[in-house]
Amino acid sequence: MTFWGALLQNGAYQAVANTLFKSQRRQFWILASLPLFWIFFANLGPIVEMFWIGFLDSYPPKVGHEPQFTLANWAAFFQDRVFIIPFFRTLAFSFIFTAITLLITYPVAYFLAKHVSRKNQLLFLLLLLIPFWVGEIVRTYAIMILLGNNGAVNLALKSLGLIDRPIPFMYTGFSLGVGIIYLTALYMLLPLYSALEKLPDNYLEAAADLGAGAWTRFRRITLPLSKEGIASGCTLVFLISTGYYATPVLLGGPRSTVFAETIAGFFHVAGD
Amino acid sequence: MTRNTRILMSVIYWAFIVYLFVPLALMVTMGFKDSKFIGFPIRSWTLDWYAAVIQDTQVLSVFGYSMTIAIATTILSLIIGTWVAVFLGPNQFRGKAIIFALACLPAVIPGIISAIALRIFARLIDIEPGMFAIILGHTVHNVPFVALVVMARLSTQPKSHIEAARDLGADSIVAFFRVTLPYLKPALIGAGIFCMLLSFDDFVRAFFLGGYQPTLPVLIFAKLRSGMSPEINAISTIVLIMTAILGLWAERSMRRLNKGS
Repeated sequence: MTFWGALLQNGAYQAVANTLFKSQRRQFWILASLPLFWIFFANLGPIVEMFWIGFLDSYPPKVGHEPQFTLANWAAFFQDRVFIIPFFRTLAFSFIFTAITLLITYPVAYFLAKHVSRKNQLLFLLLLLIPFWVGEIVRTYAIMILLGNNGAVNLALKSLGLIDRPIPFMYTGFSLGVGIIYLTALYMLLPLYSALEKLPDNYLEAAADLGAGAWTRFRRITLPLSKEGIASGCTLVFLISTGYYATPVLLGGPRSTVFAETIAGFFHVAGD
Repeated sequence: MTRNTRILMSVIYWAFIVYLFVPLALMVTMGFKDSKFIGFPIRSWTLDWYAAVIQDTQVLSVFGYSMTIAIATTILSLIIGTWVAVFLGPNQFRGKAIIFALACLPAVIPGIISAIALRIFARLIDIEPGMFAIILGHTVHNVPFVALVVMARLSTQPKSHIEAARDLGADSIVAFFRVTLPYLKPALIGAGIFCMLLSFDDFVRAFFLGGYQPTLPVLIFAKLRSGMSPEINAISTIVLIMTAILGLWAERSMRRLNKGS
């Protein structure tokens, strides 16, 4: 008799199982227990607590002083230039980087979905995937080597005779953009690819037969039908690109301080 | 599509591939440079940096620490993620869309926000910054990915599998372990390797949730802030090779999954 068979015959197990599965409803709640606990405790808990602390006048709690409810923190946030400038700069940067990522990856995704044969698609997709398995720090470092004053780009330009002295790419919005796009492009590529892959070829052929030019076909068929992919790709890239910390520290300069650095700075001053 | 646009698009594709691979290739190359000074041109080559890394006890202990965190995170994420998927996949109930959205929330919250929120939260539930806090942070981040992959696999499982098991006398628990779990195996392997990658590569959560002992990305970051050196290239290259092997392995098991075997 197998282990599972023996288990089913075991009296103690039968008793437990009978109480557990007495009704559909009970079975549902037992199944639901851990997921619901996890979702509310680990996913929602930290966010709610952080939001709540935003309304307290002192944190961490001091001895002999009950934290009071206040809106002062939120007011300070919107009035203090130390917070508000990096905050809006982050939003602006992320917006620009998202737009550039979309422009770059759309042709890539289209090429992959429509012009690469089924057999090769996996290989071509894999080529795109491999660099994205590498972590944030390693890839940021790779960009530092690419763009540094003694980096590959400057060396190439110099040996071509285009420049005499290195162009200072590093520690600017430009280097930050190259780095962030390097990190996030995949989150745009995959939704675009899966949207474009579903687009039936015969729609485009039919439109061509009816005399629509390439631009009209793109504007009237391809673009509307890949709207969902564009929307989810942009949302993902925008959200994720606001959350990087090490990349702005290493690639950005004093004039491109993003919100993550500001938060981290205050966090370390506060001690906890 | 005209021929010209097709050529243009293939040029863009290959240019994009170059953009993805060249920085990494340069980084690997620089690890063999026979000089402390990072930059081109490279005049002579050496393996000394790799020798130094292999003998560096700090790097080795940090590597072990990162590995421990990655393995613990993977096990926890697989258990919780599968449970979430088994709950959310087949069951229909009111408010399911909201629960589903909340379950996926940690995957889209900006890393820094989630790291700081978890740091404050860990304090509330009395977890010291350190290994357990990092494992919690990584597990929170990874569970949605596991749940999504497992749900996708679960949706392709024929109902007859479980019905047959029930007819043969298995109850829900036995049917799950004997029938559903083996069916999910390729998805679990793929998702598990993906979790290892996410945890091993993660910087921002490890940085804010960690104590004095750094994880590997945090160590590289600290070294980078005090100046670039080919030693960092050597460490990064080793990490790169490991991640590439893990990634290709995950890819292979996921591909088998898509073929439905």
